[in-house]
Amino acid sequence: MATPNFKHALFCAIVTLIIAYPILGLNLVAQGTKVGLEGATTSTVISVVLAAFVVFFFQLFRDSIMGNLGKLPKLNPLSGREPMPQAKRAKLESWVLTAIVVFALFWPFLVSRGSVDLATLVLIYVMLALGLNVVVGLAGLLDLGYVAFYAVGAYTFALLSQYFGFSFWAALPIGACLAALFGLVLGFPVLRLRGDYLAIVTLGFGEIIRILLNNWTAVTGGPNGIGGIPEPTLFGMEFGRRVKEEGNTSFHETFGIAYSGEHKVIFLYLIALVLAVITALVIRRLMRMPVGRAWEALREDEIAARSLGLSRTAVKLSAFTIGAFFAGFAGTVFASKQGFISPESFVFLESAIILAIVVLGGMGSQIGVILAAIAVTILPELAREFADYRMLIFGAAMVLMMVWRPQGLMPMRRIHIELKRQE
Amino acid sequence: MQDLLYFFQQLINGLTIGSTYALIAIGYTMVYGIIGMINFAHGEIYMIGAYTALIAITGLATLGIAWLPLILIVALLCAVIVSSSMGWAVERVAYRPVRGRHRLIPLISAIGMSIFLQNYVHLAQGSRNIGFPALMEGSFRFGSAEGFQLSLSYMQITIFITTLVCMTILSLFISRSRIGRACRAVSQDLGMANLLGIDTNRIISATFVIGAALAAVAGLLLGMYYGSVDPLFGFIAGLKAFTAAVLGGIGSIPGAMLGGLILGVAESMTSGYLSGEYKDVVSFSLLILILLFKPTGLLGKPEVEKI
Amino acid sequence: MNTSVKKLVTAVSASVALMAAGQAAAEIKIGIAGPMTGPVAQYGDMQFSGSRMAIERINAAGGVMGEELVAVEVDDVCDPKQAVTVANRLVNEGVQYVVGHLCSSSTQPASDIYEDEGILMITPASTSPEITQRGYELVFRTIGLDSMQGPVAGNYIAAQKPERVAVVHDKQQYGEGIATAVRDTLKDGGIEIAMFEGITAGDKDFSSLVTKIKQADVDYVYYGGYHPELGLILRQARQADVDAKFMGPEGVGNKDINTIAGDAAEGLLVTLPPAFDQKEENQELVAAFAEKGEDPSGPFVLPSYTAVQLIAEGIEMADSKDPFEVASALRSGTFETPIGTVQYDKAGDLKAFEFVVYEWHADGSKTPAN
Repeated sequence: MATPNFKHALFCAIVTLIIAYPILGLNLVAQGTKVGLEGATTSTVISVVLAAFVVFFFQLFRDSIMGNLGKLPKLNPLSGREPMPQAKRAKLESWVLTAIVVFALFWPFLVSRGSVDLATLVLIYVMLALGLNVVVGLAGLLDLGYVAFYAVGAYTFALLSQYFGFSFWAALPIGACLAALFGLVLGFPVLRLRGDYLAIVTLGFGEIIRILLNNWTAVTGGPNGIGGIPEPTLFGMEFGRRVKEEGNTSFHETFGIAYSGEHKVIFLYLIALVLAVITALVIRRLMRMPVGRAWEALREDEIAARSLGLSRTAVKLSAFTIGAFFAGFAGTVFASKQGFISPESFVFLESAIILAIVVLGGMGSQIGVILAAIAVTILPELAREFADYRMLIFGAAMVLMMVWRPQGLMPMRRIHIELKRQE
Repeated sequence: MQDLLYFFQQLINGLTIGSTYALIAIGYTMVYGIIGMINFAHGEIYMIGAYTALIAITGLATLGIAWLPLILIVALLCAVIVSSSMGWAVERVAYRPVRGRHRLIPLISAIGMSIFLQNYVHLAQGSRNIGFPALMEGSFRFGSAEGFQLSLSYMQITIFITTLVCMTILSLFISRSRIGRACRAVSQDLGMANLLGIDTNRIISATFVIGAALAAVAGLLLGMYYGSVDPLFGFIAGLKAFTAAVLGGIGSIPGAMLGGLILGVAESMTSGYLSGEYKDVVSFSLLILILLFKPTGLLGKPEVEKI
Repeated sequence: MNTSVKKLVTAVSASVALMAAGQAAAEIKIGIAGPMTGPVAQYGDMQFSGSRMAIERINAAGGVMGEELVAVEVDDVCDPKQAVTVANRLVNEGVQYVVGHLCSSSTQPASDIYEDEGILMITPASTSPEITQRGYELVFRTIGLDSMQGPVAGNYIAAQKPERVAVVHDKQQYGEGIATAVRDTLKDGGIEIAMFEGITAGDKDFSSLVTKIKQADVDYVYYGGYHPELGLILRQARQADVDAKFMGPEGVGNKDINTIAGDAAEGLLVTLPPAFDQKEENQELVAAFAEKGEDPSGPFVLPSYTAVQLIAEGIEMADSKDPFEVASALRSGTFETPIGTVQYDKAGDLKAFEFVVYEWHADGSKTPAN
C-alpha cells in the first residue's frame, strides 16, 4: 500500500466530515424567540460517518477500483454492437417518431384529464427545451436568461388580450415574433462576448426583464399578474361553459354534445402537440441546412469557422433569434393554459430547469431532449415524496453528466454521407 | 448640511456592502485568472460560511461562553475551515475532471454545483430565515442631535478594517510567498508552469481554498451586519460579487476591491436617491454595460484569445 | 404519493375510471390543495391540519347527509403552474368541493378551473381582493381581504395623529396590496405620505432604506410583506437610531421575527385576525388539537377547519350535493363557526372579518394595542 495514497485518503475522509457534519448534523432551530442548536438524528450522523468511510476506502483503493471498473463487462449488451447503417437508422427513426406522434394524437382520449393537462405542460417544456437546444446545444451559446423570452411570449399574449382583445391565434405569431425580436435586439450587442461572459449577461437580462415586469405595475399588473387570459378557440368556437366573447359560439352547443371541461384540456393539449411537432420539424430542417451546419461549426471551433468565411455575428444571432422565437411560442401556450400569469413564473430557476433538460438529454440531440423533458416533468409527479429533493438531484445530475457523459444520455448523431465501399 | 450628511451616510452604507462584495469577488477573480472559468458555486460557499459561523456562535452560546473576542475567533475559524474544505471539495469533484474540455462544460458543471449546494443547505437546515444574535451593537454619531445624525456603527468599522487587512495580507501573499509566485506563474501560462515543475493541481486547489476562506470571512461579517441567513442569499450575492470582479477587471485583485466599492456605492445611491426596487436593475445593467464596452474592466489587462 | 402512481397506471383504461366514479357515490370528496413541500410548507401544514381535523370530527358525528367526507390532498408547492396541474387532478378525481389554495397567485389560476368545472372552492388563506372580484359564483373564503386589513392599519395610524408616515412593501402581491390599501386610507385621512417604496423580497441589505426613512423623519413606518424582511429592517433601523414606530400585517406576526430582529421587535404593531384559539367557545376544539399533538394557533388552522365545516353545513342546508345550490345556501345562510358568525356577500367574501391591532413584544408575545 502506497503511503501517499493513504494520506490522501485520510485527508479526503476528514474533508468529507468537515463539509458534511456541521451543516447536516447541527441544525439551527428557533427555540421561542432565540435560535438554538439541535443535534440531528442518529441516523444522519451515522450516514455522515459512513460517507466519510466510503470516501476513505474509495480513495485508498482508487486505482484498483477504477482499474477493475474498466474491466467489468459493459452493462449495456448493445454497446459492443456495430452502429446501424445510416439509411436504416434514419428510416427507423422517422418511423418511431411518426408512431409516437400518432400515439400522442389519440392518447388524450383514453386517459384522465389530469394526465392530459400534465402532458400539455410537458409539451411546453419540450418546446422550450428544443428552442434552448438550438442556442446551447447547437450553437454552443450558454443562455441563462432564456426564461426572459418565454416571459415575453406569455406577457405579449396576456397584454394583447387584456388591452386589445386579441385571441390566442392572433397573439401566437405576434408573441413568438416579438420574443424573436427581443432575442435579436438583446443578442446583437452581447453575442460578441465570450462564452462565459455571455452566460452572465443573459442571466442579467433575464433578471432585468423579470424585475421590470414586476415593477411596471401600471401596465403589467406588477406582482398581481394578469388574469382572465382567454383559451384558444376552434374557428370561433369557445370551449368554456359559457361564451365569454360576443360573436363566438360554444363548442358543445354547435355540435350538440354535453358540456365537458375535458374538451378544452384536450384541445389545448392538441395545440401544444402540433406546435411542439412544428418546433421539432423546423429545427430538424434547420439543422440540415447550411445555417445549422454553421452553428455547429462555430461551436466546435470559432476561429476555424471564421476563417472559412462564416459571419460570427450573423450565425450566432440566427441561433439566438430562433431559440427566442420558440420560447415565445411556448410562452403564449403557457399563458393560455394558465389563464393567469405573474412574474414569479419566470424566475431564474425556470431557466436552470430548462437548461438541465437540455443537458440531461444530450446537447444537440432532439429525441434526447424530448425524453429528458418528459422525465424531468413527470418524475417529480410520480415520486412526490422526493419533490423536495428534485432540485438537489438536478444539480447533482448536471455535475455528474458533465463529468461522465457531457454528450448527454442520448447523444446527437451527426448526419453524414457514407461513401459506398468499392468492391 | 442635512443633505450632505445624508449623502455621506449613504456613501458609508455603500462602502460597507462594497467591501464585502470585494471579499467575495476575490474568489471569482483568482479562479478566473488561473483557469478561466466562472465558479458559479462561489456564492453558495459564502452562504455556507455564514451558516457555519452562525452554527458556531449558537453552539458557543449554548455552552455559555459570552466573551466576544473568543466567539468571533472561533466562529471565524469554523467558517473558514468548513468553507475552505467545501471550496477544495467542489474543485475536486466538479471542476477538475472537466478541466480543459469545451468552455461550456465546466460552466454547466458549476451551475449544477451551485444548485446542488443551495438545496443541500436548504434540506439540511430548512428554508426559513434564521437570525444572527446581535453581538456588536453601538455606533459613533456625528451631527446635531436635532436633525439627521450620521452614524458609523462599530460593525461597519469592523467590516472596513477586516476587509483592508485581508486584502493586504492577500496581496503580500500573492507577491511574496512561494505559493503566491507559483499562482502568478500558473495564471500566466498553465502548461508552461507545469513544465517548470510547479504542481499546478495543488496551486489550483490553493486558489479555491483561498477564495473560499475569504468568502467565509465575508459570510461571518455580513451575517452579523445584516442579521439573518437563508439558503438562497448566496446566489444573488455571488452574482453581485461577480459583477464587482468584472467591473474591476477580472483577474486583478486591486480591481476586485475597486469594483466592489463602486458597485456597493452605486447600489446604495440608487436606493437612496431613486428607489430600492431598481437596485438590482442598476447593478445588472452596470455589469452588462461594462462587458459590452470595456470587457477588460477598470484595472484588468487585455486578454488575447488563445487558440 | 402512492395514489398518483396508482392513478397514472389505472388511468389508462376508461373502465376503471367508471368504476371509481361509481364508488364515489357513497362518499363526499373534499379536495385540500396547498403547499406540502417548498418554502411555504409551514403555512400549508396549518391548512392541512385544520381541514383534516374538521373532516375527522364531522365524520365522527355521522358525516353529511349520512355520507362520509373523504379528503383528497394535493400539493401545489404554491407555484401557479403546479396549482393548475393539481386543480385538474382534482377535477379528475370527481371532487366537487375544494378547500384551498393557500397563496393568492395559486388560488387565482386554479379558481378559473373550479368555476368552469362547477366545483365549489373555499380558500382559507388567500387574501388578494382580485380573487373574488371576477363575478365567480363558486369562490368563497374564510379569511379577510387585504383591502379590509389595510384600512384597519391605516385608521389606527391615522388615529395617532402622526405628521408623516412612510409606507414600504416587498413588491409582492400580498405586501403591495396591503401597503396600497394603507396608503389610500392614510391619504383619505389627510396624512402626509413621506415615502411609498418597494424593496426586493429576499434582500438582506436595508441600510439605504433605513437611512432614507431616517432622513424622511417619519413617525410611523408601515411595512407590507412578510417577517424575514421586516425583521432585518427593524434590526437595521434600531442600529441606525430610527425612532419611528413600525407596523405590519399578519404576515409579520410570527415568532420568527423575534429571532431575526431580537429586541428591536419590541413595540412593533401588527394587525392580526383575533386569536381564534383563545376564544372560549373554541376551547373544546383546541383541546382536540392538543390531543393530536397539533397547534391550532397558526393563522390558517381554524379558517381551514371552518372551510370544511361550511361545506358540510352548506350541503345539509341546501339538501343537495350540487355545488351551485350549496353556493346559494352559503350566500343566504348564517353559520356559527370557530372563526365567529359567518355570513357571505354576493362576491363570496365574509361580510365581517375582524382585524385587531396588537403590539408585539421582544419575547414573542402580543397584547392588544390601545
